[in-house]
Amino acid sequence: MKKYDLLIIGGGCAGIAAAIAAYGSGISKIALVERSDILGGILNQCIHSGFGLERYGKELTGPEFAKSLLCEFRKISADLYTETTVLDLTKDTAVISGKHGYEKLRFDAVILACGCRETPIGALPVTGTRPAGIFTAGQAQSMINLKKMDIGDDVVILGSGDVGLIVARRLKILGKNVIAVLEKSDHCGGLERNRVNCLDAYDIPLKLNTTVTEVCGTGRISGVYAKDLTTGECSYIPCKTLITSVGLVPERDLLESFGNNALPKNVFLCGNCRTVFDTADSAASDGAETGRLAAEFLKTGIRTYSSHPEKSARPLKENETLCLECPRGCILSVKNGRKSGGRCKKFT
Amino acid sequence: MKKYDVIIIGGGILGCFAARNLAKYDLKAAVLEANNDVCTGISRGNTSIIYPGYDTKPGTLKTKLCVRGCLEFENLCRELDVRFEKRGSIMVAFGERSEGVLRKKLAQGVENRVPDLKLLSKEEVLTLCPDITDKVTMGLYCGNTGTVLPWELGIAAFENAQKNGVEFVFNEKVVSIRKGENYIIETERNTYSARGIVNCAGLRADEVREMLFEPHVRIVPTKGDYFVFDTGVSLRGNHIIFCEPEAKGKGLTLVPTVTGNLLAGPAEIPSEGKYDTGTTQEGIDFLLRNLKEKFPTLDTAHIIRSFSTLRPNPYYVNKNNDNSYVLNERSISNFTVTRDEEGFLSFIGIKTPGLTCCDGLGKLAADAMAEFLGAEINHNFDPVRKKTVRTDGLPFEERAELVQNSPAYGKIVCRCRGISEGEIIDAVRAGAKTLDGVKRRTEATSGRCQGSFCTERIMEIIANELCIPVSEVLKDSIGSKVLEGLL
Repeated sequence: MKKYDLLIIGGGCAGIAAAIAAYGSGISKIALVERSDILGGILNQCIHSGFGLERYGKELTGPEFAKSLLCEFRKISADLYTETTVLDLTKDTAVISGKHGYEKLRFDAVILACGCRETPIGALPVTGTRPAGIFTAGQAQSMINLKKMDIGDDVVILGSGDVGLIVARRLKILGKNVIAVLEKSDHCGGLERNRVNCLDAYDIPLKLNTTVTEVCGTGRISGVYAKDLTTGECSYIPCKTLITSVGLVPERDLLESFGNNALPKNVFLCGNCRTVFDTADSAASDGAETGRLAAEFLKTGIRTYSSHPEKSARPLKENETLCLECPRGCILSVKNGRKSGGRCKKFT
Repeated sequence: MKKYDVIIIGGGILGCFAARNLAKYDLKAAVLEANNDVCTGISRGNTSIIYPGYDTKPGTLKTKLCVRGCLEFENLCRELDVRFEKRGSIMVAFGERSEGVLRKKLAQGVENRVPDLKLLSKEEVLTLCPDITDKVTMGLYCGNTGTVLPWELGIAAFENAQKNGVEFVFNEKVVSIRKGENYIIETERNTYSARGIVNCAGLRADEVREMLFEPHVRIVPTKGDYFVFDTGVSLRGNHIIFCEPEAKGKGLTLVPTVTGNLLAGPAEIPSEGKYDTGTTQEGIDFLLRNLKEKFPTLDTAHIIRSFSTLRPNPYYVNKNNDNSYVLNERSISNFTVTRDEEGFLSFIGIKTPGLTCCDGLGKLAADAMAEFLGAEINHNFDPVRKKTVRTDGLPFEERAELVQNSPAYGKIVCRCRGISEGEIIDAVRAGAKTLDGVKRRTEATSGRCQGSFCTERIMEIIANELCIPVSEVLKDSIGSKVLEGLL
């Protein structure tokens, strides 16, 4: 069984940055596991610019940012497992499956940098049928930009998350009819800069206080019922494509084996897997800091927590534990010595 | 014109089991299925329960087949290499009226000779199922109730029937039937002749029968909405729970399925027709309200999917003076098996516990046809079907060796369910042609991300295996292309 000082799960911007930083802090036996055939994660499908300002001082596209990180990564010594998925994790062993084999890796410390997954339409209170033509925003972005797939025309976008706004612009540039972005709250969910640059600049209407209540269509989607939440009125919008951009959930399935107990000290979370960041730059910077902290832990046994974002800045005290489920990674107090925490109020 | 001894119309679970049972005889048989895969209609969505047989009246065909079907189910699933979990069930009451229902069911069950059946006190219910509200007053336990994935079972029967010589023709919607020396069946594309017909057309079984005969029974569907919870959400005790409401009305059933997902439903509501498969606000609200009331600790934030199914309710029809037909007020509670001619058998409105009885009904059809046609036993029939490789659950060394020999079993495509590329390729080679076909055979895309990461990869695998452009890949039925083309 191979043995590493540090195992990093996920080769997106946070994972790569963590590997580089850990190596820079003196850790030499590092393994990076990535399920795709290339490194870079979601950056590869983000062909728009606006990346890398924090790390490289200039504005790059997603793939350029990934390439720059990759150039740095190539200079360090680390074992890279691509097309490999971690299927099971304990405090010192990972079971991996990939084209090169199914095996166990041992480690002293592990960093989870698995990113997020998108909330699918099934989890929303939307009734009606489930025809073809419904995509999540990130899925649509990957299909369009990486696979050159034409996902369809006459698009309604449900939810105004950043990816949804960027995909709306992308579709408009491709000549598609983007009917509207519907947002159930009274403000745009994405960054102000994305609202201005993606919607306003391309005349894509943003309908606030509006949501989709029902999907219609048998083979392919034929329309949706949209409800104005202030007046309660419902209207039918014919469409051939529905994209959902309603929320990201940190991908922490691997932590399930730890149950409701506090995470072992040698298990680190970073990037969007720890908390949903607004930008890839922040996720990368959180990855770098976590890489340094993991190195420090390996050398000294002292465990501190990344300061990104400010909200969960402070290190955990002896009687505290991290929420395993909520996107914010809330700090919970452990009562009467029982490690029953693990999940914050929202998830119990 | 293609000639057969027997043609089965409809490739749902019933058609598949009629086919498998017909293969036990020396007969040339074919299944004509209107859709592009088996088990895409009623069989794809139901409560997935194998009932022990205390729900139905003593002496009926339903009861006979159900009690026997349940007892033989484990063997059937072993033969077909299909997952079956004998979970045991508790029917729970919340007051005097529903307690009465439980007592009646107990008496009925005893008369039907259902084994392992007993009443439970409130305390006993709460011990076996601590997640139910303490408003529960009584329970009816049955150890034999089980659960199976209906499409997994149907697909297994299809594969086994096909292996034993039954032909399956897809995208063959029957449009007319006439009677000459044999039955002449016209589909949208071809003409078939058969000496016998088994009508398993599900929701359209009444229409198929009426292609040749006067109306007698018609189907009026009702809809049932369901929730699927993420894996990790479970009921302590892992029993199937039937809630018998105290006020007269609809109940609620919770099933810990074989995939580890908790299924909740159905919310029964009238349907707008045979193609109305959308969920409704009314249904969703009913489920949410009832879950909160009966299972206060279940977190509905972990619901990953809702779906709706259609139930075929059969009604006798009467002819008016003006030659129009009216339905009887009450639907038929027994299975409706009509044999208008010796060679024409129809299953109309086979609903709960149709899944439990699928093999029994299939055998009934096959035996009737074999007797009518004077068929001999097929001594080459092989009842055993092996499922394709499933990496999850293999012992470590075995899996390592498998991946070493075939790297495709190492590459994980569906991350939520841990399904490898090799398993998806196997599914396509075994007959899956669409995303939902792959999903029904492997569970890929049915996890918590609902396919947002792996759909494009699965589309590429399907396209590659079927030698079609990726832009032609369907989600499900004809007309459900995922893409409009390539950019």
